[in-house]
Amino acid sequence: MSEFLQHLVNMLVLGGTYALLGIGLTLIFGIMNVVNFTHGVLYTFGAYIMFIVVQQLGLNFFLALPVAVLAGWLLGATIELTLLRPLRGSDIDTTMLVMIGAWIAMQSGTLWIWGGVAKSVATPFPEAPLVLGPVSVSWLRLFVLAAAAMLILVTYLLINKTSLGRAMRATFQDHDTASLMGVNVDMIYTSTFAIGSSLAAAAGALLGPVYVIFPQMGDLAAVKAFAIVILGGLGNITGAVIGGFILALAEELGAGYVSSGYRDAMGFVIIIAVLIFRPTGLFARAERVG
Amino acid sequence: MRAAVTILAVAALASVPLWLRDPYLLNALITTGIFVIGAMSLNLLLGFTGQLSLGHIAFFGIGAYVSALTSLGFDVGLPGDVRLVHAPWPPIAGSLLAILVAGMCGYFVGLLSFRVRGAYFVIVTISFAEVVRLVALNWVELTQGPLALTNIPSIALSLPGIGELTLRTKMQNYYLVLVVALVAYLLIARLVHSHFGRAMRGLMENETLAVSVGIDVTRTLTLAAVISAAIAGAAGSLYAHYIRIIDPEVFAFINTVTMVIMVISGGKGSLAGPVVGGLIFGLLPVALRPVMAPEAQWIAYGGVLIAILFVLPRGIVPSLAQRFIRRRSGAPALASVALTETGAKEPA
Amino acid sequence: MTRALGLVPVFALATALFGGTAGAQTIKIGVNEPLTGAFAASGTYVVNGAKIAADEINAKGGILGKKIELVIEDNKSNPTEAAAVAEKLITSDKVPVLMGAWGSSLTLAVMPKLMEYETPMVVETSSSGKITTTGNPFVFRISPPSAVEAAAFKGIVDKLALKKVDFLIINNDWGRGTAEDFSKMMKDKGISIGLVETMDQGAQDMSAQLSKIKSSDSETVIVTTAVDQLTLIFKQAAALGLKKRIITTGGSQNPDQIIAQAGAAANGTMHLTTFLPWFPDKTPNPEATNYFITEWKKRGFEFAGCTESFRGYDGIRTAAAAVEKAGKAEPAAIKAALWDINIKGLNGDIVFRKSGPEGKESGQSQPNVYLIEINDGKVELKTL
Repeated sequence: MSEFLQHLVNMLVLGGTYALLGIGLTLIFGIMNVVNFTHGVLYTFGAYIMFIVVQQLGLNFFLALPVAVLAGWLLGATIELTLLRPLRGSDIDTTMLVMIGAWIAMQSGTLWIWGGVAKSVATPFPEAPLVLGPVSVSWLRLFVLAAAAMLILVTYLLINKTSLGRAMRATFQDHDTASLMGVNVDMIYTSTFAIGSSLAAAAGALLGPVYVIFPQMGDLAAVKAFAIVILGGLGNITGAVIGGFILALAEELGAGYVSSGYRDAMGFVIIIAVLIFRPTGLFARAERVG
Repeated sequence: MRAAVTILAVAALASVPLWLRDPYLLNALITTGIFVIGAMSLNLLLGFTGQLSLGHIAFFGIGAYVSALTSLGFDVGLPGDVRLVHAPWPPIAGSLLAILVAGMCGYFVGLLSFRVRGAYFVIVTISFAEVVRLVALNWVELTQGPLALTNIPSIALSLPGIGELTLRTKMQNYYLVLVVALVAYLLIARLVHSHFGRAMRGLMENETLAVSVGIDVTRTLTLAAVISAAIAGAAGSLYAHYIRIIDPEVFAFINTVTMVIMVISGGKGSLAGPVVGGLIFGLLPVALRPVMAPEAQWIAYGGVLIAILFVLPRGIVPSLAQRFIRRRSGAPALASVALTETGAKEPA
Repeated sequence: MTRALGLVPVFALATALFGGTAGAQTIKIGVNEPLTGAFAASGTYVVNGAKIAADEINAKGGILGKKIELVIEDNKSNPTEAAAVAEKLITSDKVPVLMGAWGSSLTLAVMPKLMEYETPMVVETSSSGKITTTGNPFVFRISPPSAVEAAAFKGIVDKLALKKVDFLIINNDWGRGTAEDFSKMMKDKGISIGLVETMDQGAQDMSAQLSKIKSSDSETVIVTTAVDQLTLIFKQAAALGLKKRIITTGGSQNPDQIIAQAGAAANGTMHLTTFLPWFPDKTPNPEATNYFITEWKKRGFEFAGCTESFRGYDGIRTAAAAVEKAGKAEPAAIKAALWDINIKGLNGDIVFRKSGPEGKESGQSQPNVYLIEINDGKVELKTL
C-alpha cells in the first residue's frame, strides 16, 4: 500500500511537468498546424539558460526562471520569423522537415558550445525530502509542481481571457475567416510560436535543476510531449494537462507493477488504443480537417 | 525520353564499382542505397497517398530482425510451456520471410492506423515504431535485446552452373543493393501508373470525392501500406546481412528521420525524388567528414536541409522539373498546369 | 566473380604497402570514438586521454624512430557509422591498428570489418562478453567484461555481509551483462536476488523503479549505468527516502562528478571502479598515473573525466607498444605482437590472455578492480 501511495505522489509530481511540456506543443500544433520538432531543443535551451544564469553568472535561482522564459520567447519568435514565415502556405511536411533541420543544427550547436558532459544547477531547496508518513517527496519537485501549475493557469487565462487569446482561438477555428475579420494572422502565428517556445524553455528551466542538463535531454521530453498532445487532442490545453497526468500514471503503474523495461511503452500503447477507439483524442473539441 | 534518362542513370550507377575502387566510398554507397530503398517505400505512402508515416523504420527493423533470426536460428519459450525452436535457414530464405512478415505487419498497422489521418496518423506510426523497439529491447530471449544479434551470415545465392555464391565483397553487395533498388523502383512505378495508383492519388487529392466515385479507401490505403512495408522489410534484410550485427538501435527515430529527409528533400510523389534526395543526404556526411569538426558536420547537415527546402520547397526533382518545363514552354500559366501533373507523375 | 573475390587480399596488400610508405613519416593509429550523439561526452574524454598518450610518446622520440599520428574519427554513437569509420580508417587512412569504439554495439559493428581487412583493434571501454567470445582474433580488450568485475567482487561480498540484493540497471548490453554475471556469482555465495529493474538509456526519471525498490525486502541495490543516470538515481533515491546500501559497478562512475552534482545524496554509496585517480600511489603504476593526472589537469579538463579518459591513454599505449614490438607498422605483425606485450597500464598490467573459441581467440587483459566509498563528499578506498 505504501508503495502504491508513493507511486501516486510520483505521478502527481511527474504529471505536472508532463503537462507543462505538453501545453506549449499543443498550442503550436493546434493553431499553426506545425509539427514542431524544435520543441525539445527549446526545452534544452531553457535548461542551459538556467545553467548560465545560476552557475556561470552566479545570479539568483528565482531570477533565472523569468530570464529563461524570456530567452525562450525570443528564440521562438526568431525561429518563426526566419524559418516558418517564409514558408507560410507550404504543406505540413515541408515545415516539419525545416523544423527537423533546425532541431539537428541547434542540438549540435549546443553540443559544440557546452560539450556533452552533463551540467547540474544548484538550487536553494533543502536536500532532505518532505516526509509524510509512508511517502516522501523532494521540496524542489514540489516547487516545480507549483510553478508548473501557475504557468499552466497563466496560459489558460491568456488564451481564454485576453484579446490576443481570442484572436488565437479564432485562428484555430478557421484562419481564413479570422483573417477576414481583421485578425493579423501573421502576428498570431509569431505570438503562438513564441509563447509555445517560452513554455518549452520554462519546462527546461524548471526540470534542468531536477535532472541533469545535456544536449540530448530534449529528445525524450519531445517524444513525451507529442504523446501528451495526442492524448489530449490538438490545441486543447485542458486536454494536454489531463493527458500529462494520464501518461505519468501509466508510466508509474507500468514500471511499478508490470515491467520497468516497458515503462516507456505504456504511453505509446495508450496512444494507439486511444486513437483506435477515439480517433480525435480523449478530450478533443473540434478536429480540424487536414 | 523518360525511359532514356532512367536507363542512363541505371547504367551510370551500375558502372560505379568499375571505376570507384575506394572501399570506404563503396561502403557509403551501399548503406546509402539500402536507406534509399527504405525511402522509396516511404514515398509510396507519403508521396502517393499523402500519409506521413514517422514509424517507417519499424518495418525496416522488423525485416532486419526476421531475416537475421531466420538465418541464425532461435529457441524461445512461449506462454504455456511451449518452446519454439528454429534451426538456421539460408539467408535468402530469411530475406523472403522478412518481406512477408514486414508486409503482414504493414497490413495490420494499416488496418488500425488508417482510421485516423494527418497529425494523428503521424503519431500512431511513431508510437508503433517505439513499441516495436521496446519489444526488441526487452524480449531478450528472442532478440537478445541490447546484447545484439551478431555474426549474421552474408547473403548467399545458389546460381545454376556456378553453385553457391556468398556475397561478401563490396562489389557484390553493391550490385545486390542496386538490383533490389531497381526492382523496388520498377514495382512502385508500375503500381503508381496502374488503376490502383490513380485510386491512391484520387484519395490524396480529395478523399470525399474519391469515395463518391467508388474508391474503397481502406482497401487502397492498406494495400499501399502492405507493399510499402514489404519493400522496407527487404531493405532491412539487406541491412542485417550487410552490416552483420543488429541491435534495437536499428529502430532509432533518427533512422526514420533520415528516410523522411531523403523523400521530402528529393520530392515526395516523384519516383526519382527519394533516389536523388537519398544520394545527396546519404553522401553529404561523407563529404562533410574531412572538412569540418564533428559537431559542425551536423550543423551543416541541418543547414543544407533547410536551404534546400527554402530554395526548392516542393523537393529537388519536382521543383527542377517545374523550372525545366517553364523554360521550355515559356508560359508560366501552362507550367502551373503541368506542375499538378508532375507532382503526381514522374517528370524525369 | 573470381576477380571480385580476389579483391580483399588485394586491398589488404595495398593497405600494407601504402601503410608502409605512409609510415615513412609517421605511424598512424586509428581512433574510432563517439564524438557526437548520445555518448559524445564519454567518447571525447577517451580521445583526450588518447592524445595525452600520443604526445607523451612523441615527446620521448616516438616509436621506431617515427612519431605517432592519431587519426581520430567520429562514429556518431551509431553502429552503422562505426563500421563505416573503421572502413575509412583502414582503407583510406591506411592505419595498421585501431582503437575503439567505446560502446559494445559500436565495437560489435566494427568487428566484421576487422576480419575483412585483417586489422587488429584495441577495445578500450566496451564490456559485452560477446566481444571476446565470438571468435574474432583481431580484438584485444583492455577493459573488464562484467564477468571479470563480478569475479573481483566475489572476494569482498562476505565482508559486506550481503543477504539480498536488488538490481537497477541500464537496459543495454552493459547493464544486462552485469545483472547476469553478478547474480550468478552472488547465488553461488548464497546471497538471494530480489528485483531486477531496468531503465532506458537517457531516461531521467527513475522514481517509479526506485519506489518499487524502496518497498522490497532487500538491503542492498546494485546499480549499473553511466554517471549522469547515477547522479539522478542518488538524488531521486534520497528524495524518496530510500535507505538501502547502493553499490555501483562498471568503472565509469566519475565519483567526483557524482559528489559535485548529487551532493549529500552520494554519501555512503560504494563504487566498483577500475582506476584510482584519487590515490595515485595505490595504483599499479604510480609514476604513470601521476603523469597522466598532472597532464590531464594541465590541459584544463575536468578531473571527473579521468575515470573514462585513462582508457584512451592505456589503449594508445597498448597499440604503440605492439607496433614497437612488431618492429613495423603492419597489421599482421602488430596483431602477433599484441600477444607478447606486457606494459604497466594505469589499472594493472596489460597482458592479453586467450578468450573465445579455439583457433580464433580474442585477447583479454585482466585489469584491477577496486571498491571505493564516498563519505562526507570524499572518496575513500575500501581494501579488497
